[in-house]
Amino acid sequence: MIAESLPRDAGSRAAWRVLGLSRWQRGTTLRVITLAVYTLLTVFPFYWMIITTFKQNSDLYSETNNPLWFNAPPTLDNVTYLLEQTRFLTWMWNSLVIGIGVVIITLITAVPAGYALARLRLPGAEKLGIAIFATYLVPPTLLFIPLTRVVHTLGLQNTIWSLVLVLPTISIPFSVWLLMGFFKNVSFEIEEAALVDGATRAQAVFHVILPISRAGLAASGMFAFAISLQAFLYPLVFTSSTAVKPVTLGVVTDLIRGDLFYWGSLMAGALLAGLPVAILFNYFLDDFVEGITAGSSK
Amino acid sequence: MASVATGVALPRAVAGPRRALHFKGYLLVLPAVVYVLALLGFPLVLGIWYSLTDTTVARDGHFIGLKNFVEAARDPTFRLALRNTVIIAAVATAAKITLSVALAFLMLGAFRGRSVLRTLFVLPWTIPVALSTIAWKWMFHSQFSVINWVLLKVGVIDQGIQWLGTPIPAMFAVILVSTWRAVPFGAIVIMAGLTALPADVIDAARVDGASWWQRFSQVIVPLIAPILFIAILFDLIFTLTELTVVYLLTGGGPVDQTQVLANYALQVGVPGSQLGLGAAIALFMLPLLLFMTVMALRTIARREGMA
Repeated sequence: MIAESLPRDAGSRAAWRVLGLSRWQRGTTLRVITLAVYTLLTVFPFYWMIITTFKQNSDLYSETNNPLWFNAPPTLDNVTYLLEQTRFLTWMWNSLVIGIGVVIITLITAVPAGYALARLRLPGAEKLGIAIFATYLVPPTLLFIPLTRVVHTLGLQNTIWSLVLVLPTISIPFSVWLLMGFFKNVSFEIEEAALVDGATRAQAVFHVILPISRAGLAASGMFAFAISLQAFLYPLVFTSSTAVKPVTLGVVTDLIRGDLFYWGSLMAGALLAGLPVAILFNYFLDDFVEGITAGSSK
Repeated sequence: MASVATGVALPRAVAGPRRALHFKGYLLVLPAVVYVLALLGFPLVLGIWYSLTDTTVARDGHFIGLKNFVEAARDPTFRLALRNTVIIAAVATAAKITLSVALAFLMLGAFRGRSVLRTLFVLPWTIPVALSTIAWKWMFHSQFSVINWVLLKVGVIDQGIQWLGTPIPAMFAVILVSTWRAVPFGAIVIMAGLTALPADVIDAARVDGASWWQRFSQVIVPLIAPILFIAILFDLIFTLTELTVVYLLTGGGPVDQTQVLANYALQVGVPGSQLGLGAAIALFMLPLLLFMTVMALRTIARREGMA
């Protein structure tokens, strides 16, 4: 972990120096302007969601009104419609159940695998780890057609359980990889000390390794949860009844009736369902990047 | 891996018979491997089998060799989808990489408000793609497009663009949303790469009297090349198989002008019930994807010090 032994961001400061840009130039107006424009492009769709959510329909569907601000008093009508006239809360509940199911399956399978691959000196462990990670790169678009048959054969079509079953195929490979990294960083001496003190290996794992690696466990769990909320294709193909949809699917399908889009409520749903996920994801972003870049800081 | 290789040998008494430990170790890996094999490996093989048969929802198919692929290749919509998939992947990936590197450099170093900015910048990547795409669909609305409103106000255009109703603007919209969503991720990966660079190596490599572009391309790029390479391959794999943006934003329209392979496979395979043909369309890219996966993994393995 070279990065930890150096002052924070030493590498990036050196990267600036090599480009011949002084401290003064780094703070130039150009940089500020570029960042400001970029921020605007990044957050505008979110601003648009918020302002649409709280606009009256007459204000929303007017070609003469300034769309960027309220031309009539803000209203909660769109939110009320979403909560009372659609199954939004059912969808949120479905997403929660699916997410928790996926997290449980992911941790039960990925924690033992990650531990064994990182710490038991198994012959071929690194290669096996990379092979498992490779399956993360198999996109759902290659699999959804045969999987509909698998889901159907198991009698799970049009249930949330189809998603609890299938979505861990995305989260397990990545979590195994992520956890391997975390377990490798726990010092071997600590575990050996516990073993010498007469603890069984299982006791050592539960009382020493897992508590030390809790950041990794949390990151894996949150990743599995976020993945299950991000999913769109599998829900689209495996669930069709309103009552069993997860929220990402429910919002974008049930608020469109034929050619009629309920834009206000659509944006309300996108906001209420999307922001919690975005905030959750943001929390363990660094762990996720660490996993993707696979030991860049070694 | 260094810590494992040079780690202190376990005391014999607690290490137990090595082979038994290995056996138990593999047992611990088994559930994950079985799960992935059953629900990812098996469907992949089943999909390849489907692509070689005339399976539909109603009946099991017979082996028909490469007929599905031949039929797909003759299908004008398939060709359009293939073309669009390649164009979107090429343009979007180029845009994503350029903007990601630029953003990563803009975000380097410590300045006030950096962590707030970072939280804002990652929003496009962290919000579920279906939800952000629907917001963009509303921004590209045929009648109430806010983008048109702004462009009209500024005077860039004198009549509204039918973003999703005309071929080239629709492709532009698909590429824009795909890029908007992916840049934060690329930037963060590159930032992680830059931050981890050893400062003395960079300083030692400093070339005096060269333009900043030469220094950038000759010092910085080689140093971040492996990570850049992994990021590009990952992104290409996911962009070539991307479906959600097209499905929600344009539905492949107008008249298949933004159709992509994954979305076409969905149309043929699910509402169209032709599982065999749909699987063939979905798997058309498989050889290319496999090649890119192997390349990415080899790079990762090298970084792990294995190869």
